[in-house]
Amino acid sequence: MPKLVLKFENAVLQEVPVNAKEVSIGRSPDNALVIDNPAVSHYHARVFNEEGRMMLEDFGSLNGTFVNGQRIKMVTLKAGDSVAIGKHTIVISEARDLDGFAAGNGDAKQAAPKLNETVILDTKERRAFMQQVAAGGESSQPAPARLKVPSLVVRKGKTDQKEYSLTDKLTVVGKSAMATVKLTGWFAPRAAAQINRREDQSYYIGAADKRPSVNGQPIDSPTKLSPGDVIQVVGVQLEFVYRD
Amino acid sequence: MDVTREIEFGARSDIGCVRESNEDSYGAAPEIGVFVLSDGMGGLECGEVAGRLAVETVIRECRGARSVRADEGPANGISGVSTESNQLVAAIRAANQRIYQTAQNSEAGRQMGATIVAVRFTGERMSLAHVGDSRAYRLRGSRLEQLTRDHSFVAEQMRQGRMTELEAGQSGLQNVLLRALGVAEQVDVDVTEELMLDDDTILLCSDGLTRELTDAQIAAVLNDCEEAQDAADQLIQAAKQAGGGDNITAVVLRSAARPAGAFTRIGRWLRHS
Repeated sequence: MPKLVLKFENAVLQEVPVNAKEVSIGRSPDNALVIDNPAVSHYHARVFNEEGRMMLEDFGSLNGTFVNGQRIKMVTLKAGDSVAIGKHTIVISEARDLDGFAAGNGDAKQAAPKLNETVILDTKERRAFMQQVAAGGESSQPAPARLKVPSLVVRKGKTDQKEYSLTDKLTVVGKSAMATVKLTGWFAPRAAAQINRREDQSYYIGAADKRPSVNGQPIDSPTKLSPGDVIQVVGVQLEFVYRD
Repeated sequence: MDVTREIEFGARSDIGCVRESNEDSYGAAPEIGVFVLSDGMGGLECGEVAGRLAVETVIRECRGARSVRADEGPANGISGVSTESNQLVAAIRAANQRIYQTAQNSEAGRQMGATIVAVRFTGERMSLAHVGDSRAYRLRGSRLEQLTRDHSFVAEQMRQGRMTELEAGQSGLQNVLLRALGVAEQVDVDVTEELMLDDDTILLCSDGLTRELTDAQIAAVLNDCEEAQDAADQLIQAAKQAGGGDNITAVVLRSAARPAGAFTRIGRWLRHS
């Protein structure tokens, strides 16, 4: 007999067998499966049997019900499906397949997962997880403006150009052969500072042979750059801007 | 321009105090400046096989790498990084394919997976690529900086401001990875480039080290040890004393041109303090 397994993070909170009876899901204590969280509606959804198929229906809840990452109104469930409601997950499990959620436990005999065993979410489960996270709160950050080119404008100091586009993941400021922002002063260091582009397209300035300042403040650790920030290092001033 | 750079490296891998096998692997090809670490998973012997395959494949591919340039080669070249970085990414993608195929071909289609963190030194440039939660750190001056961002559920939660570092450290979900080699036919590899200064120390490590030691403890060991091998040995020792709950591997890399001795260290400290 299949079961609904309610989980928060990896803790199993409740297991409800699905038989002929309907399983109601919601925040109200009179539901068969109660999820006590403000993101969950009082009567949020139900699981019921229709001609031998296990159906899930969302009652028009505010924050929605997601199956494998897709927001649904009504859907047929199968073993292994992952239902996200708020920050909780309901895993549809065959009664004997309790660790179906973990893709990394490949032991043929399906032994209980060892404590601390690493698991990997496959793409389907990962999407569900992320969807569940997204359903829990505010929207993620806005997409960066793609058409604008992040640049450094030289305000002061000796460099080989007046302006530099930051097209590489790593930009070195110094005399080094790999420096993009080439310092031409006599006593310029090989590498005064470095700027890294991270995966989210943000730019961070960090120390190299010297410790740069941003807007007059010496940096302690890699510091995120915002448009208009002025970097100062070994007598050179560079303004970070986005160019059209 | 100097293509490879002489790197002093020290490495050690230990089963830890709890596990029955060591699924961590590491490998070095100093002549091409490539250093790799992998943490395998999959139970039985699969984890060991996956980790070893990952390391071997990356090194072999880098040795035989044809020039794959971002602006010519196939569409999967990554822009904004050097040819060498793209070759490193291609090598990791090949390792992914190899582990995936091995898992598919094994009886019962076993699940196999592995993390990877790999660096390649070209002159002053260090290419750094990774998948999963094995990490790279850099000690510059007395400051330790984590250069990789874990592909794990808790790290993603922290990035989105939904978990504090403390909560992440206590979460039961620390073992959940969002990316690994061998799980699907394609893998998304993070690659970045860093400047390697003569004074810098780079550490590659598996989560068995970082679960046991704080950044401050790691920084202290890297700061105190003159020899890279000594630093690797002491890191393993400290992680075992702290519990050794998982396999532990550390690869410590330094520029062979690194100035040593008390005076340069004091100078280094003054410059960065």
